[in-house]
Amino acid sequence: MVTVTAAGEVLQLLPERAVFWPRRSTLFVADVHFGKAAAFRAAGIPAPEGGLAEDLQRLSQVIACAGAERVVFLGDVLHARRGRVDHVIARVTAWRSEHSHRQFMVVRGNHDARAGDPPPEWRMTCVDEPFIEPPLAFCHMPNASPAAGYMLAGHIHPAVWLRGRAGLRERLPCFVVGPSRMILPAFGSFTGSASVQPTPDDRIYAIAGDVLVEVW
Amino acid sequence: MIGLGYHATLLSAPTEAALSHIEAWFAARGWQPFDFQCQAWRAYLQGRSGLIHASTGAGKTYAVWLGPLAEALAERGATCGEAEHIGNSSSRQQAKRARRDDAPPLRVLWVTPLRALAADTEQSLREPVESLGLNWTIERRTGDTATSLRAKQKSRLPTVLVTTPESLSLMLSWPDARERFAGLRCVIVDEWHELLSTKRGTQTELALARLRCWQPNLRTWGLSATLGNLDVALHALMGMNGSDATLIRAELPKEVVIESLLPEQVERFPWAGHLGLVMLPRVLEAIEANASTLVFTNTRSQTEMWYQAILEARPEWAGQIALHHGSLDKVEREFVERGLKEGRLRAVVCTSSLDLGVDFSPVDCVLQVGSPKGAARLLQRAGRSGHAPGRPSRVVCVPTHALELVEFVAVRDAIRQGRIEARLPLNKPLDVLAQHVVTVAAGGGFRSDALLAEVRTAYAYRDLSDDEWGWVLDFVTRGGRALNAYPEFRRVVCDDGMYRVADAGIAQRHRLSIGTIVSEASINVQYLKGGRLGTVEESFVSWLKPGECFLFAGRLLEFVRLQDNTAWVRRAAGKRPSVPRWMGSRMPLSTELAHVLREKLDQARLGRFDDAEMAAVRPLLELQARRSKLPEPDELLIERVQTREGHHLFFFPFDGRAVNEGLAALVAYRLSRLQPISFSFAINDYGFELLSPDRADLDRRGAEMAESGELGQGGAEKAEVKKQRISASSLLRSLFSPDNLAEDLVASLNAAELARRQFREVARIAGLVFEGLPSRRKSSRQLQASSTLFYEVFSKYDPDNLLLTQARREVLERQLEESRLARALQRISRGRITLLDVEKPTPLAFPLMVDRLREQLSSETLLDRIRKMQAQFEE
Repeated sequence: MVTVTAAGEVLQLLPERAVFWPRRSTLFVADVHFGKAAAFRAAGIPAPEGGLAEDLQRLSQVIACAGAERVVFLGDVLHARRGRVDHVIARVTAWRSEHSHRQFMVVRGNHDARAGDPPPEWRMTCVDEPFIEPPLAFCHMPNASPAAGYMLAGHIHPAVWLRGRAGLRERLPCFVVGPSRMILPAFGSFTGSASVQPTPDDRIYAIAGDVLVEVW
Repeated sequence: MIGLGYHATLLSAPTEAALSHIEAWFAARGWQPFDFQCQAWRAYLQGRSGLIHASTGAGKTYAVWLGPLAEALAERGATCGEAEHIGNSSSRQQAKRARRDDAPPLRVLWVTPLRALAADTEQSLREPVESLGLNWTIERRTGDTATSLRAKQKSRLPTVLVTTPESLSLMLSWPDARERFAGLRCVIVDEWHELLSTKRGTQTELALARLRCWQPNLRTWGLSATLGNLDVALHALMGMNGSDATLIRAELPKEVVIESLLPEQVERFPWAGHLGLVMLPRVLEAIEANASTLVFTNTRSQTEMWYQAILEARPEWAGQIALHHGSLDKVEREFVERGLKEGRLRAVVCTSSLDLGVDFSPVDCVLQVGSPKGAARLLQRAGRSGHAPGRPSRVVCVPTHALELVEFVAVRDAIRQGRIEARLPLNKPLDVLAQHVVTVAAGGGFRSDALLAEVRTAYAYRDLSDDEWGWVLDFVTRGGRALNAYPEFRRVVCDDGMYRVADAGIAQRHRLSIGTIVSEASINVQYLKGGRLGTVEESFVSWLKPGECFLFAGRLLEFVRLQDNTAWVRRAAGKRPSVPRWMGSRMPLSTELAHVLREKLDQARLGRFDDAEMAAVRPLLELQARRSKLPEPDELLIERVQTREGHHLFFFPFDGRAVNEGLAALVAYRLSRLQPISFSFAINDYGFELLSPDRADLDRRGAEMAESGELGQGGAEKAEVKKQRISASSLLRSLFSPDNLAEDLVASLNAAELARRQFREVARIAGLVFEGLPSRRKSSRQLQASSTLFYEVFSKYDPDNLLLTQARREVLERQLEESRLARALQRISRGRITLLDVEKPTPLAFPLMVDRLREQLSSETLLDRIRKMQAQFEE
């Protein structure tokens, strides 16, 4: 775990690809992309199911560890309209009922705009970005209006190349932490990633298994 | 499958008449038909199939083409009952293009591997048709074909269709494919040797099986260059039911003279992969001394660089030289091909796009820049020169680095000894089959038993098991075999025993993906102002950053942005290509050549430098001997050296790139089990390098002695050299032991992620990954996932997926050539292993050391590994 202070708030970066805000007991995750594999299958591309159960279990674990009372999804909760199939919805509904006393909030992302808001039985409050909760702004797009507060965003699925001696290299998902915004890695396991180009003010924390390593 | 002599055949009277007419047509052009041509015509007219092999431009096209024409003439003569009808007077009247509606329906399919060749083929097929006065239409259908022509073809196909394997497969997905092909009599596959050992070849085999199923009397003819295994090539083309096919040899191989341009001072000549531009003045001399020259290079980027360099050195040649490669836009290509034929061009710089098909009068001089890597390829290219009977073909090899001189000698020896490479057809690739099954499901549907029987008539699938077939059916109907893993999957649905595609959208996407067997997604290169220049691979574009310049189509272009599947560019005046990105050729040396190469180096060790090339490279080989040694035939040489980069181990088994790669993974894996260590490795045809930040503990005693200075300090050695001789320990022997090979190899494939890399191709062909859609609509973007991601989820949730198995099998069989690898290990374990500590990298090691394209393998934890690393953003 790495603790950073942003706009005077203490935020904990977790190697499970989430951020915890202790003062408000809030856990942030970005880009879970529920139903992505199902959307592929519906289009005739055989992506096996299995990632969903694992992602949900991982999310439960990190919620429990952090003791979060609220979970904020920073966009792209559902991958595509075609992925809204019964068994995915039922699976997430069942999981939701294990967290019935917690509050779930969704900041709509570009995928949600087409896939639609999560079904009512998931009991997730949906808001448009930026959602301001001073001094933070909950977003999906990292380039959304910056003025309103320190921005937490997702969308780009950041990853970083590391290079060592002897021609060795490694690519890892990462957090990108800057003075006015932070970008979270994608939480969903059936998602890709994009290499980031940081500014000099950014810090990059790479996820090496269950450890975070500051690499920039 | 033995051909009868053509004299032993009986043909009907109208057929004989038509045949004499063809011969007269030949004679009227001042030509005399070759025996092999007459032989092929008669075999065709008897209803037989066959394979004709010959060197480039020997008249293969007419050998295979005039049979179908004679047949048509005979039929016309027979219906009219008039001999004059075949005569000249009527042909002159009809010497104009036939009209689509009047012409006979599709009768001949001509399949060519390169769509760049299709235009030319169409042209050369048309000439005799028109002058013989046949009412036939000839058209092309490839990725280049205009939409308007496609639409016309959709309503009625021409009499003769020139196409590619992909486009043929695409046509089989038309719902009414069977009716449209109803009049088909003959399929001609051009350049079969190019397709034979590729998945496109397998795709062709499957398409032929389908066509034969519809037309049991279909004749199949193939054209091929000389190969080491023509009988297999014939069998693969004919399928399992073609028992009466004939193999026709065009002519006795012509004498081939292979020479090299020798650098003046080999010591100053590059030691490793290079463009070869040092030799530019000599190449210019060669071009000046001849009326027409072809300059063959091995890669597209090398072609661009050489074209630019020649033009800079001789600006007055603008307009007289050109470049040609398969990625150029067709207008550009056709312009060059015409220029060559009309003799307007002094020189053309080209890749293999010109060692195929296109018939043009032979050039005076053929230059080969860089190693041809195989005897067959060099023969093919040499065949472009000096076609006059009795005159030898001549090719001049231009080295790009010093050791290539040895390869030139090896090629010459291999050709002299008749060691021409074999090309092996692939063994039942399931990705290609899965694609074909969806194609057939879209093209009218199928019943399982019938299609299985048909598929098994294809050579590649002759021993497809019921279980494998069942898996492929499961894959296209249910996504896979794993229970509950693939709910709501739909691609192909089975209704009352009949399999069809689930919906029109799936059929549409499938058709778009059929072309992907060829290569990775291609990206258009287009000016911001509009003009289209051609296509490049997606991976090439991904290297570029906006503002960077690169050479393409002979122009220096600035990359502006990537959008809508197009690399938008503008002209970059007065700039240099900012990043040459020269990575050298990755073509592997053939087995045959690797073998001869080892012989040549052994002769050098014994002080024999018979050939001019060997004499030229002598100083370098002697330097190798001083700094380390030239390995003996039964010796595996290992060199160890430390630099700022880390600890290098160079191994030289001389087994060709494919086997060396397998050995590298295996040795790295076995070493990594002895201590936590990370390697990156580089491979070439001579050997491989393992590079690690920490020293691999090969021989503890040797290491201790080296540190305490017990060895190599005597001063008896030559001044620049400090050699430390350490006897090969049992550890070294165990690294190359053939024991446990199968298990260790699979483990090392996984550790080195070779299977994951191979899975890219499998995923593309099996339709998991969509790339390069003509227009990436938003809905299709939701279906983008990388093959790596698929590899991971399959490995985790459906580990028995046969596509994973296939990727592993392909690495073992195709990439690493497992059987050759086992033989190499046996040879090494019987011989000696010598480990030398050298002070400076040797001439043999240098090319490996500078290779930036590396695999890696590690037994350290992720955390330990990345602790020593730094973030890198300049990618």
